[in-house]
Amino acid sequence: MMKKTLIAIPLFCTLLFADAATILPVEKRTFEQSKFIPDISLILDASYVTRNKKDDEIAHYEIPGVAHGIMGAHAHDGHSHATYNAANGFNLNYGELVLSSSVDPYFTLDGTFHFSENGVEIEEAYFTSTSLPYGLRLRGGKLLSNFGRINSQHHHYWDFGDMPLIYQAFLGDHGINEKGVQLQWVAPTETYLMFGGEVLQGENEMMFGTGSIADPTATDPDAAPLAEAADAPALFVAYVKTAVDIGETTVMPGISYARGTSRLDHFEDEEPHAYAGMSSLYGFDLTVKHYFDSYSFLTWQSEWMMRDMKGTQYAQLDANTTASASLRKEQSGYYTQLVYAYNMNWRAGVRYDSIYKNDITKNGTALEMENSFERYSAMVEYHPSEFSRFRLQYNHNTALFNEDGERQSIDTFMLQANIAIGAHAAHDF
Amino acid sequence: MKKLFFYLLLPAALSAHLNIAVSYPYIGALTKAVGGDHVTTVVLAKGNWDPHFVVPRPSLIAKMRRADALIMNGGQLEIGWLPPLIRRGNNPKVNPSAPTFLNLAQGIELINKPSEVDRANGDIHPAGNPHFHLDPNNIPLLAKRIADFLASIDAEHKSIYENNLADFTLKWGKNLERWAQVMAPKKGMKVVQFHDNLAYFNKAYGLQNIATIEPLPGIPPSPRHTLEVIELIRAEHPCCILHDVYHSTKTAEYIRDKTGIKIVLMPHDLGALESVDTLGALFDHLTEAVTHD
Repeated sequence: MMKKTLIAIPLFCTLLFADAATILPVEKRTFEQSKFIPDISLILDASYVTRNKKDDEIAHYEIPGVAHGIMGAHAHDGHSHATYNAANGFNLNYGELVLSSSVDPYFTLDGTFHFSENGVEIEEAYFTSTSLPYGLRLRGGKLLSNFGRINSQHHHYWDFGDMPLIYQAFLGDHGINEKGVQLQWVAPTETYLMFGGEVLQGENEMMFGTGSIADPTATDPDAAPLAEAADAPALFVAYVKTAVDIGETTVMPGISYARGTSRLDHFEDEEPHAYAGMSSLYGFDLTVKHYFDSYSFLTWQSEWMMRDMKGTQYAQLDANTTASASLRKEQSGYYTQLVYAYNMNWRAGVRYDSIYKNDITKNGTALEMENSFERYSAMVEYHPSEFSRFRLQYNHNTALFNEDGERQSIDTFMLQANIAIGAHAAHDF
Repeated sequence: MKKLFFYLLLPAALSAHLNIAVSYPYIGALTKAVGGDHVTTVVLAKGNWDPHFVVPRPSLIAKMRRADALIMNGGQLEIGWLPPLIRRGNNPKVNPSAPTFLNLAQGIELINKPSEVDRANGDIHPAGNPHFHLDPNNIPLLAKRIADFLASIDAEHKSIYENNLADFTLKWGKNLERWAQVMAPKKGMKVVQFHDNLAYFNKAYGLQNIATIEPLPGIPPSPRHTLEVIELIRAEHPCCILHDVYHSTKTAEYIRDKTGIKIVLMPHDLGALESVDTLGALFDHLTEAVTHD
């Protein structure tokens, strides 16, 4: 009986489907749209971290006058943020889901979603024109700005598991990632020459912002805010990039400029303060890449950044008093890194980070500020195939200070796994 | 003489070249053969690079920006490097949906189409093996597709493209006969490769690939697999390792030291070796390398 049933089931199925196929051939199933499924990929980024400092200590560390809360998990605006590789032990940085396809003959649409334990973030979601004439390309939605070299690259494409210090300190872990539009023009020249401009909302956590800043000590809900909301869009970015080939070596310089309003409200933080003003960010990047053969190369990549913030700083002295002072910050730094790809399987690299200028003027008087922040990194990567990568990275960080203003020496080992499945798009140069 | 006459008759129109970007040198040579004086070809990849891993340097974006048309190999061979160049070239003429875009793979029946598309089987090409230009019998088919393509985007010079194609096909036909003769005694000969990029060449002349040095497509050699290949060579006595020019021959040399098998360097495109500078020279070299003792 059992045997008969076992034979009968596949037989029945065959008959059923054979019959269905004759009645309704696949190409005539009018609601069939599976051919229109966009390219889908999923990238897992996870790490194991060992630091010589405890997680709850490190969340309070700062680069005095430059940035605070850039390492470890912290709460802000009522929800918790976790930077990449935040905790000692195991970290699930994200599962990155990418969807990408042509919309019609005129546009493509790309979406990048970061699934983390804190929820889902739309990392990027933008349309891109494909049919504009004269070498023009328009992109709109939420996008990573093309400012500098590394800003437009996703985390999993970086050569190190963490962002260069200047990006982290000046712009935060996501860099300039904004709602807005981008227009790029490639010149019709022998040499690659690209000009780009972006109009963005201006809502960066570290440097830009548009919202009004309310006085935390005000009792009247209709009281005038400390700083009025800025007109949005409020951030403008422009850049020029070029590239010259000298034999098997490509030299790629770029200059970038960003300017926007700053409205940074940290009244909810442990040290309540806020800032309102105008900010400029200048960038110069240079990448030199030499290929020995199809798989082996040496890359020297550097970026220099200078930010100039002019405005008013507000501090909440106690429950009833808010003080304000005019404040100007001129801060610069750079990173420089060398990566050697030995073959398809192995890569190694070193990186040096420095913020060397930290000029802060308060009410016209220059403040005595610490102005030397450094980090040293080294990494080695193993790629079993094109779609998986394991990276061991060591950081020696002397850039951070504790609440008592003492310089900290932080040593970090990270073992990072980066695994991709699906129709993953090829990366740019 | 005919050509000279044309130049005298239509000086202004003729100087307006079609600037055609092509992915690989062999496509450049075919396009030049068919397009003659009416096209300028800009080759993106170098012949001595791994065709799967061409470096998408920004200078190639500048080339895409100025192209009037783009011809690619297809079959996913360019999947790892061409899409970013198309995206960043900001030139609608090189979009895959444009009438000025040609995918050569669409006119060829690909072999070795995997029955199961799973990256556990390595970096496979779901559409089949894309190295089809290494069957010299496919070359006239590709030339015809390029001639039709050029005629479709430049109808004014259609007859010239047709004449060039006829000339080329006639000459190539003679080559085909010669190579068939040279290769005939080698039918059934067993070979080993690094990656199965000579699949079409082997099929055309009845060579039998019994092993690849990479365990799976795109997966670098592993010690265990190398030992298996050595065992297989000892058991089956293939004639040689047909090795591409862009992978390291280190593993092949190790296998040679253990088994005494010969390593033959096989160019896959124009420029892969210095002496290989025409399509004819490419197949002359391949057929000679395999038949020379």
